[in-house]
Amino acid sequence: MTVDSLRDYLQTLDEKNDLIEVKDRISWNLEASALTMLANERDHGIPLFEDVDGRRLVGDPYRGSQRRPWDRIAQGIDLPQDISRQEFYRETISRLQNPREPVTISPEDAPCKEVTRVETDVDLLEFPWPYIHAGDGGRYSNLHTLIVSDPDSAWIDWSYHRAMIHDNETASVLLLAGEQTPNLFYYKYEREDEPMPVAIAVGTEPAVQYTSVMWIPTGRSEAAFAGGLKGSPIELVPCETNDLLVPATAELIIEGEIVPNIRRDEGPFGDYFGYMHGPRRSMPTLRVTGITHRKRPIIPFCVEGTGVGYTENSTSSMEVGCVGPDATLGLQAGGFDIDQCVPWSSTPRGVYVISTGNTDPGYLHELANFIFTTWGMLHVDFFVFVDADIDPFDQREVLEALVLHADPDSDFHQFGVETMPKVPLNIYQTPSEKGNVQTGTSKAKTAKAYIDATRSDDDFVTGTLDDDLQNWARSVLEDAGANPDMLPFTDSAQRGGSR
Amino acid sequence: MISFRDHLRILDANEDLLTVTEHVHWDEETAAVAVEALKHDCKGLRFTSTSGEVDLASGIYAGHAQISSRTHQPWRRLKKALDREGDDYVQLLEAVSRRNTRAPDHIVLEEPAATIKSSSNPASLGLPTVEPNGRQLITLGLIAVEHEGMTSWAPVRGAIHRRSQLRLSVPQPFIEWCGDNRQASISLGIAAAPLVTALQGWTLDRTTSAVPKLAAALGETAVVDIDGRTVPADAEVRLDGSIIDVNDGVSGPVAVWERGCETVGVTVEVEAIATREDPVVPFIPLGAPLTDDLHLTALVEAAELYRRINGYWGVSPVSWIRLPVEGRLGICLVSSEILYSGFEWQLANVLFSFSDFFDKVLILDEHTEPDDLARALDDMWVKAHPSNDWIFSDPNAPAASIPRYRRDGQTGSRLYINATWDPQWDEEYIAPRVTFQNSYPEDVRELSLEKWSDLNLEEKSDD
Repeated sequence: MTVDSLRDYLQTLDEKNDLIEVKDRISWNLEASALTMLANERDHGIPLFEDVDGRRLVGDPYRGSQRRPWDRIAQGIDLPQDISRQEFYRETISRLQNPREPVTISPEDAPCKEVTRVETDVDLLEFPWPYIHAGDGGRYSNLHTLIVSDPDSAWIDWSYHRAMIHDNETASVLLLAGEQTPNLFYYKYEREDEPMPVAIAVGTEPAVQYTSVMWIPTGRSEAAFAGGLKGSPIELVPCETNDLLVPATAELIIEGEIVPNIRRDEGPFGDYFGYMHGPRRSMPTLRVTGITHRKRPIIPFCVEGTGVGYTENSTSSMEVGCVGPDATLGLQAGGFDIDQCVPWSSTPRGVYVISTGNTDPGYLHELANFIFTTWGMLHVDFFVFVDADIDPFDQREVLEALVLHADPDSDFHQFGVETMPKVPLNIYQTPSEKGNVQTGTSKAKTAKAYIDATRSDDDFVTGTLDDDLQNWARSVLEDAGANPDMLPFTDSAQRGGSR
Repeated sequence: MISFRDHLRILDANEDLLTVTEHVHWDEETAAVAVEALKHDCKGLRFTSTSGEVDLASGIYAGHAQISSRTHQPWRRLKKALDREGDDYVQLLEAVSRRNTRAPDHIVLEEPAATIKSSSNPASLGLPTVEPNGRQLITLGLIAVEHEGMTSWAPVRGAIHRRSQLRLSVPQPFIEWCGDNRQASISLGIAAAPLVTALQGWTLDRTTSAVPKLAAALGETAVVDIDGRTVPADAEVRLDGSIIDVNDGVSGPVAVWERGCETVGVTVEVEAIATREDPVVPFIPLGAPLTDDLHLTALVEAAELYRRINGYWGVSPVSWIRLPVEGRLGICLVSSEILYSGFEWQLANVLFSFSDFFDKVLILDEHTEPDDLARALDDMWVKAHPSNDWIFSDPNAPAASIPRYRRDGQTGSRLYINATWDPQWDEEYIAPRVTFQNSYPEDVRELSLEKWSDLNLEEKSDD
């Protein structure tokens, strides 16, 4: 059964007793966020707030469990909750390799059109946008899909850029040059002094949300990749006030335009790397032209900053469950012989680990060069390369490889000293280094590095077992009462193997 | 004092021990199972059917990788074995770093728990091997030798050779201290305090022969005299004999303490074997991750560095030091006040000077929690400036002993990463962490906790 909407997904969680229904009245003003942070930290179910001053919010719906960050992501595309990470990667990649073109349906059939408001009737403040951290610059919509079109082609880009609500018809949108949507705005629309038509789809079906965080190549149909992930076409419906098509089952659609040469304040914000990011800066302005929504819409949000260390949130889990498989596929499609690309799960978006069978130094340099020049890489500062027999998701194994095999003399490769671009979402640059430049990226450059933690020919290895012996040993432990969830079998068919 | 046997019993009572009743042969199989248990954060293991005269145990002083869960404390079993369960990490570090001793008359004298058996063939014990048809290994035990009326204990690692000989690696200073004394006892299955203090006595820069006194102070160790030697009274197995040869070294996978000190090989002719009833011998699958020797050595080395550095500049800026077992002691984490600009350079380099194990140091702010390894590593990635705060030395530093590269002794660079706030930054530049405490005012916190409590959700167990 496909998961066609956020509501379907929440229903799936509920059936597994994994949804916490909070019926008491809760305020959008820090309270919903604080309770969600508790659920995130304590690794509990997903909180659905049924009465947020009469409206509905859901906190971090795509957060995975702390040991298996991909588990709820998997349920969103109708994969088993207990799927192993390896199987999840294989299945997700396979689906991305089989995109399905979307279909367009009539507005009458689109749940997101149950209520329609346009132009003077729009009121952003009608909805319970959460104030997430004390000290944030304002209330945010931060778990949605931003939809824009390339003015020079038929390409439609879906992305994931937060919006800070200013009043009943405007918001500022975090657009940092170097990523696809910001590039379209700054270097195409704004240069022509043209507004960029946009739609923000809030509370989409999971496959749409997942695709919007992935690194889909420029020019490719993100809707088709979402259909591939879902296993059936995404239904789209035209907007009321512009020509964009939006996911028909979304909870709420904000239609509008990002206007050229007008900036509004954005931030500070408690950001994905776990710190309050500041200072307040100027970002492009969204003018809202229409809002359509389901009756009693459910607005999802992410308590950013909690997805670090041991705690998961929607961003960190989508990084592991969506960006990881997608980046693996992208690098393989780029001709690189890599095994897997996996985010360092306790530091989402900052560090990635790549396991590869080809550890030739020139090859690793070329691979790093390729990665650091792609879009979206302004967030990432480090790549760690490990041998193919290291599980890149296992931070202990990666740390061990880094310590044992990465020689400070020859295996830490910085691309120059302060030569590379960086988004200002960091805490190591000073406010003056970040600046407040027109296109959002930091004024000062940074260095990025890759670490070769693969074994050299003369590095010796101890403590490894062949697969048969490993599986047999794990069977012995399982028979003795060890928790089977802790014992991944090399091949599940070999469980219970004999000596 | 908590004996090894008591410790096993406590682990079992706390559901932290898996008993493997299935037949698992000591020849390679027990080590394979032990490796997998360690890698996957299983409980400690006791094997009850291994074809040998002794039962085997593994992971008894080891702990789970902290990097996989906030509730994991790698030192948990060791803390329990030292009867310091109420201590936090810093208290444990301080307890070990004090190096207190107790006078010999405070040491309890008892009858040995182990009694001499008729056979003196150590191979009948059935100690584990790590490779097919390999030799039975001794991986977690002590050698005791008497010199001028005083006994000292040192760590040993080695194997059974021929019918009645042991080839053992021991710290070189210990053998030098022994002089011409050749009578020795090797004790297996002993409490944590003698193991910790034997490492303190003979594997650090500053050696001391007063190991039984250190052990008595740390864990009230019960001892007994055997032919003039003081040995742990509660050992599961004791092998008495003579050192018949001293030579260069002992082949096979090494214990991690051997990477921190000079060692020599000794051959011991076993003359008598004493065992307790239903003896249990702990072993280490050497070379595997998260093994007991990593935990024991990490604690001893961190405690020594903590003691030396907090006395080095006349002030005590360091909050804690860890050599994470997850990184096999090849990286050192230090949480410290940065006394002045450039202090971080001094701090990193004095650590490099005081320890041979690692060539990477991560410096963290003084308020960083010692039991939040994931957050500490996060700070390495997000707080340290990739250009300015990853500092490589010139390439003339001696090779560290843990990493696998430059084993030929070639010099190279060291690396320290400064993940502390720059003391020259204005206060307003310092980004607060997103935490429940920081991100919500008190009234919201109270209300949220109250509502959370009203939801009556079951607390989740990590294991």
